[in-house]
Amino acid sequence: MAYRGGSALAGLLSILSALGRVTYRNLRKLGSLAGNNFFLFVFLLLGQSGGFLQVVLGLLLLFPFSSDPLRSIPSERLQQWPLTPRIALALRLASVWFSPVAWITVGLIIWTKSLQFAAAFVGISALFYALSSLFTWVPARAPRLNILAHVPDFGGPIGGLVRKNARELLSILDPYAGLVLTLSATVYRFASSKPEPDAFMILSMLVALTLSTYALCLFGLDTASGFARYHLFPLRGWQILLAKDVAFLAVLLILVAPLHLLAGLAAGLMALTVGHHASVRYRVPQTHWRFTGGAPLTSGLLQAFLMFSAGTLVARTSAWVLLPCVAMFAGSLWYFGKELDRSAE
Amino acid sequence: MEVETGAICAFLGPNGAGKSTTVKMLTGLLKPTSGDALVAGHNVASEPLAVKRIIGVLPENLGLFDALTVEEHLYLSGPIYSLSRAETRSRTDQLLRALALENGRSTFIEHCSYGMRKKTALAMALLHNPRVLFLDEPFEGIDPVTSKTLRGLLTKVAARGVTVFLTSHILPIVERLATQIVMIREGRAVWNSRPDELPKSLEDVYFDLVEWPIEEDLPWLGCSPS
Repeated sequence: MAYRGGSALAGLLSILSALGRVTYRNLRKLGSLAGNNFFLFVFLLLGQSGGFLQVVLGLLLLFPFSSDPLRSIPSERLQQWPLTPRIALALRLASVWFSPVAWITVGLIIWTKSLQFAAAFVGISALFYALSSLFTWVPARAPRLNILAHVPDFGGPIGGLVRKNARELLSILDPYAGLVLTLSATVYRFASSKPEPDAFMILSMLVALTLSTYALCLFGLDTASGFARYHLFPLRGWQILLAKDVAFLAVLLILVAPLHLLAGLAAGLMALTVGHHASVRYRVPQTHWRFTGGAPLTSGLLQAFLMFSAGTLVARTSAWVLLPCVAMFAGSLWYFGKELDRSAE
Repeated sequence: MEVETGAICAFLGPNGAGKSTTVKMLTGLLKPTSGDALVAGHNVASEPLAVKRIIGVLPENLGLFDALTVEEHLYLSGPIYSLSRAETRSRTDQLLRALALENGRSTFIEHCSYGMRKKTALAMALLHNPRVLFLDEPFEGIDPVTSKTLRGLLTKVAARGVTVFLTSHILPIVERLATQIVMIREGRAVWNSRPDELPKSLEDVYFDLVEWPIEEDLPWLGCSPS
């Protein structure tokens, strides 16, 4: 039994209205990037001089922008609805306009009056869409090709939890923004005849900054089911937090190793020291293959200040400066671990 | 209310009666607002870690991580309960075989069926050989073969002294398996006995004491659309 006449149009409008709501919610999630330290830094502090970083971020943003709006409806549900071929086609055509890419393309045509430029943008978006589809398609159908499946067990009582947390961290876009910076800096190190030594210290802290917002939302990718399991394990709160921290520091240290390891480590420890508070108290939910966002702005500013101070001190004075950083980190781990223990429903 | 060592206690009641809430309080997921509860002699409020070390739990929401495969859940769990790597691997292999999970052992939880997820959570509850098992609706959503395997398993471990506390809505299974039946209504126990002390079938007692089925006619259902 297929919809006919007026009821067909009503059915189409009902689906489009649901699609509109989903798109609006997704765009609001993108709006939460205002709470991402790295985005704030690039757009507020660097201004015009941050052209390179803005291009990097613009390209990475194309992942969430390029998703097909119709994919937010489960395919089984879509196939079950009694839609005539004409209505299905109308739905396909109308849903295109729920994609931010369509609006950006129109904007580009009006702004540049260049069809070729707009077509190139659509081409890049299609490429990013294909890549992001691969990210979801490959793990489901070819588990061996899933890169995240190869993250090793870290050993010890909480080693399995560290592996899980590392996988979660690698399923958001923040570390990939850091990776682009690390790769660019590495190319600069080898391509430049006389590279500026301070540049690597600053870049190391910038890489730490790309990950720092995640340190404010360490439980953001845990489902209610997973979070309940933490409270069933015979583990103390600080051990659960430490498993998050080890995963964070492992990814960060790999990224800053070619730059300035100690400055990156000091910045990372400060990011976690401040981050425990918001992570345990607010548990801001995050989405896979998106940038982290929605974290408290004051915590982000404090984080950025302490990260740059500690990183610069360690790089300019002595590695012993790491000791107070470790002490502050341990104090925060102990205090908010206790708070996590008390946070059973 | 008391449950003896080695008993299989079925905790029955309608949706929203407080079964899962009770399980949550006994397993440390929820803090009791008043009263005392002891599990194997340990107070759940003041000794939560001691309780967690000796219990195995199948929670209502299963407690699984999307970022891990079926077998990785067990590899993660073993060392947390102080099992060696070799022992964890050996027990994992046996549990995955017993619960017919071997073929899907490398599948990420987010790609598993509900039945597979439930069996994974069950395997996690059993892996560390707990003294008390809390199972929230263990028979719902699993296939008949696994259901039979699980019943056999629970009977065996109870005979070896493990106490089982389970909730379920499948009364025929409960009637065959349980050695103690407790029924609750609106948060209060209205029946507590051995199954052979029931005056009628479990279903009839349940309908009498807990909830009578509502017979509502839906006249529009099955009629041709106007």
